[in-house]
Amino acid sequence: MPRSRPNYAFSRARWSAAQLVVLTLLALAVTALFVRAADNPSDHVPSFVEWTPETIAQASSGDPFRGMLLARHCEHCHGTEGFSDKGSTPNLAAMDRLALWKELEDFRAHKRVAFPMNPIAEDLSHKDMVDLAAYYAKLPIFYDPEDKRVFPRPLPGLAQKNMAWRLVTFGDGERGIPPCQACHGPIAYRPGAPSLMTQNSDYLLAQLEAFAHRTRANDINEPMRTIADLLTDEERLALAAYYGSGLGMQPGSSWPSK
Amino acid sequence: MAFRGGRYNHAPVKWRKLRTFLLTVLILLLIPATRFYQIDEPLLRWLRGKHQVDPLALHVSGEFVENNLGTEQNADGSVTVRMIAQQYLFIPHCILVPAGVPVHLRITSADAVHSLAFMSTDYNVKVSPGSISEAELQFPKAGEYKTACREFCGAGHYAMRSEVRVVPRDQFPALRDGERGNCAAQ
Repeated sequence: MPRSRPNYAFSRARWSAAQLVVLTLLALAVTALFVRAADNPSDHVPSFVEWTPETIAQASSGDPFRGMLLARHCEHCHGTEGFSDKGSTPNLAAMDRLALWKELEDFRAHKRVAFPMNPIAEDLSHKDMVDLAAYYAKLPIFYDPEDKRVFPRPLPGLAQKNMAWRLVTFGDGERGIPPCQACHGPIAYRPGAPSLMTQNSDYLLAQLEAFAHRTRANDINEPMRTIADLLTDEERLALAAYYGSGLGMQPGSSWPSK
Repeated sequence: MAFRGGRYNHAPVKWRKLRTFLLTVLILLLIPATRFYQIDEPLLRWLRGKHQVDPLALHVSGEFVENNLGTEQNADGSVTVRMIAQQYLFIPHCILVPAGVPVHLRITSADAVHSLAFMSTDYNVKVSPGSISEAELQFPKAGEYKTACREFCGAGHYAMRSEVRVVPRDQFPALRDGERGNCAAQ
């Protein structure tokens, strides 16, 4: 019987420092696989959306043509041209695609609750949402007098207009209210902040009140809940009337218009 | 020439060379693989330490989730205040702290660089995205202190203000475990 040859490749050998380091790293990596940062289940998470560059790239990569076909299902409430004929239903024409996608995502995850939208968003795939957002973001916002859309409303009174103008342009430094146009445009936007230029006033008022009463709580790091809470009832009305009448199309000028 | 000595090193040079080669290949595969599959994330988080956070995921998990912001009572009588600075708000917008008690402030930014200045005091805390700024504060007198952002952070910078409500120690609400004090509670 021939003597079997020892397997030298795996025989007991003196470990070099480099080999020890590698094996330690390997052991740590394997341990790390099983160690997960424990998330607290009682934490209130406003939205699962994180505005990482990858998320933004993905949410902006929609196909508007496919979105147009899908949008046939949305027309009944949101209007054929993205302008609704009911004041309480938001206009979607030319809305920021990131904002649209985030709201759909929050509806799907039940982070924002609004009756018809939750079941609708649950039936949409991720691609559907992205494509719909791409389509509505492309719609023009010119005014068509033949349409039965409720936007724009008649202009508000001068006092109301100036109150809203002040908040839109400068905010209120005394109370720490930032200007609306710094996030909602047209002078600056932040990811997820919808453009308010052509939004229905009834819808805007309902949302401001929902934020103030915390019945809507899907704003990341609670900016809108804080601001809506700081605004008085008259200011919320004035802001809704200001945007609802199309005054938000231009950036706030340096002096209130007559 | 390979080193041939060593008490237990029976293997001939050929096998030792093979072994070294296999280990090298393993290293070269392992390092990018751990990064690719993000196996090293907990390790990196541990290496980064307690002073770094992901500014884009503050609201999802970790120290700065919504229900963890505000004033927390510590066992030694001091309080810890957690805040987020973001364009163009300090959150919570109003913080409630007891007078004459050490206040450990922990604040981070969700977007740009901000600076939290407490009016009529010397405190000014610079806040950068990705890292947690810490400060030890103390308000000897009860009253309302205004705060403002002292680092230009964008279009709404001049309206980025908030307030600190300092109440006498005995008027500070007794907080239960896990509860956070806020101005509305007062």
